[in-house]
Amino acid sequence: MSKLSHYVESAGAILLAIIWISPLLFAFWAAFHSTSDAVNFNITSAWTLDNFRTAWEGAPWLKYFLNTFLLVTIVLIGQFFFTTLAGFAFAKLEFPGKNFVFILVLMQLFILPEVLIVENYAMVSRLGLFDSLFGVGMPYMASAFGIFLMRQSFKSVPIELHEAARIEGCGLLGILWRVYVPLAKPTYLAYALVSVSTHWNNFLWPLIVTNSPDTRPLTVGLSIFGAPENGVDISIISAATMMSVAPLLIAFLVFQRQFVQAFLRAGIK
Amino acid sequence: MSTKPFVVLKDVAKRWNGQLGVENISLEIEEGSFVALLGPSGCGKSTSLRLLAGLEIPDEGKVFIDGADVTTSAASDRNLSMVFQSYALFPHLSVAENVIFGLKVRRVPKVERNEKMQRALKITGLEGLEGRKPGELSGGQRQRVALARAIVAGQRLCLMDEPLSNLDAKLRSSVRKDIKKLQRDLGITVVYVTHDQTEAMSMADKVVLMKDGRIQQIGSPNELYSNPENTFVAEFIGAPAMALMDSYLIDGIKNGNKIGIRAENITIVPEGKGRLSCSVTEAEFLGSETLIGLEHEGTTGLNVLQPGLSIVPSGQRIDITFDDQDLHIFNSAGDRINGQ
Repeated sequence: MSKLSHYVESAGAILLAIIWISPLLFAFWAAFHSTSDAVNFNITSAWTLDNFRTAWEGAPWLKYFLNTFLLVTIVLIGQFFFTTLAGFAFAKLEFPGKNFVFILVLMQLFILPEVLIVENYAMVSRLGLFDSLFGVGMPYMASAFGIFLMRQSFKSVPIELHEAARIEGCGLLGILWRVYVPLAKPTYLAYALVSVSTHWNNFLWPLIVTNSPDTRPLTVGLSIFGAPENGVDISIISAATMMSVAPLLIAFLVFQRQFVQAFLRAGIK
Repeated sequence: MSTKPFVVLKDVAKRWNGQLGVENISLEIEEGSFVALLGPSGCGKSTSLRLLAGLEIPDEGKVFIDGADVTTSAASDRNLSMVFQSYALFPHLSVAENVIFGLKVRRVPKVERNEKMQRALKITGLEGLEGRKPGELSGGQRQRVALARAIVAGQRLCLMDEPLSNLDAKLRSSVRKDIKKLQRDLGITVVYVTHDQTEAMSMADKVVLMKDGRIQQIGSPNELYSNPENTFVAEFIGAPAMALMDSYLIDGIKNGNKIGIRAENITIVPEGKGRLSCSVTEAEFLGSETLIGLEHEGTTGLNVLQPGLSIVPSGQRIDITFDDQDLHIFNSAGDRINGQ
C-alpha cells in the first residue's frame, strides 16, 4: 500500500515537473527549428541557427543586455547599502519608535509593488529620473524584505563579538563592517540571488518608466520585439527568449550547489 | 609600596529597572597585581567587570584608570583588553587576523603588527596555527587565541571574564598556571572574574568576594581564609567551608552569636572527652585524606579531616574537640567580632 502511494507520489511529481518545464523545452526546441517545422511539430526536422541570427539583427540586444545588467547591479548595490544600514539599526541600536517603524517596514511587505506603480511613477518623474536606469531601480532599493532579512541575520550575531570589537577600538560603523557584514555573507548571497532574478525578470515597472532603447531592459525589449505588430514568428521569438534567459539560467546551473548552500546557511542561522 | 592605585572604582552603582545590579562598589587595584572578583552567580562580579571595561556605564560613582576619570569613556578609549567567557573570537577571521584585529583597527603599521603578532603567538604557543579558523581549533587553543589577542597590543590592564569555565578540569589547572605566569612575566594588571574559589585563591594577589551586588570582603586569599569578615565569607571560602555553630554549644560565648570553625582545627577524641558529640552523616575519600561529615543540633557544615583512607560508617557517634583560639566569632548580623 505504502509502496503504491510512493509510486503515485513520484509519478505526480514527475508529471508536474514535465508540465512545468514543457513551455521552456518547447521554446528551446522551437528556437532551433524553422517556423513551419515548429508550428507543425515536426520532431524529425533539421536543426538551424537562423532564428538566432534573425532575432539578433532585429533589435539592439547588446544594449538591452547591458541595461539589464546595469539595472540589477544598481539595484543590488543600493539594496545592500540600505538594507545593511537599516537592518543593523533595527537589530542592534536603540532609538525611540523603533518597533513602530519596524512594523511600518514589515507592512510594506504586504503591499503588492503593482499597487504602487502610479505613485512611484509620479515620484520618479518629480525626481527627474524618468526614463533612466536609476529611476527604474530606485523604488526597489529600500527593500522591506531585505531589511527584515538583514535584521534577522545581524540579530543572530553573538553580543560578545560586538563587545570584543568595541574593546579592540572599533566604532559602530567599524563593527558593522568588520564583524556583522562578514558574518552575514550567506544571507547576502541568498538575498543577491533573489534580487537579481527578480529584477532580471521584472517587466511591468520598467515597461512603464522607460521609453527609449537606451534605457530599456531585456524584458521590455523582448516584449516589443515579440509584439504582434511586428508579425508573430514563434521560432524567432523563442530564439530571442532563449537569449534573454540564458545568462541567468546558465549562471544558476553552474552555481546551483553554492546557491542552495547559501540558502541553507542563511536559513539555519 | 605607596604607589597610587592603578584602577579605582569609587562608590559605583548600576541598577536595571530599579533592580539591583551592583551597589556601593569601591575598589583599589595596584598596578601589576592580579585581582579576582569572586562570588556566586548573580552576585554582580561580571557587572563590575563590564563597568570597568566600559561596556556598561555606572548610574552612580566614578571609575579611574591610571589616574584618569574614565567613568563615561568609551570602551575603546580605556586602553584595556578583555578575554571573554566564550572567547568572542571572530569566526570569519583566521587566528592571525583575530590576534591583530585591534592593531588593524588602530592602524598600527603592518611591520609592527606582524612583529607583535609573532611575539604574542610565541608566548601563547600558537605558532603554526596562524592560518586556522577558530572553528578548526580545540577549546584550549581557542582560549589561547583569546589570550594572545588580549596581550598583543601591550595594554597594561587586562580583564578576564571566567576565561576557564569552558575548559575541562585538567586543562583548567594548567591554563591557570599559564595565565598567572603570563601576568607576572608581562607585569600587567589582571582583573579576573570567577565563581570558582580555587581559581581565585590560587591565582590572585587580592580576592574581592561579592554577594548580591555588594562587596563582602577584599583581601589576600589568606586573609579571606583565616579572617573571614562575615559568615557569608566563612561559608564560601575553603573546601570544605567553615562550619558554623550556635553560641549555646560553647561556654563563654554571648547568646545569639555564631561560632565558626574550620575542619582542620577539629580533632577526634575518645568518647566522653570531647566538647561535642556528633553523629557521622557521610565519609568522603579524597585521596590523601578523608572528609567526614558530622551532624549535631545547632551546627551547619561540620566536618572533620582524617589522614588517608578512614571511612566511618554513617550514624556512628564521634566526639570532637577544638581550641578556643581557632574559633571565629560572628555577631547575630553575621559580622566578625573577634581577633581581626
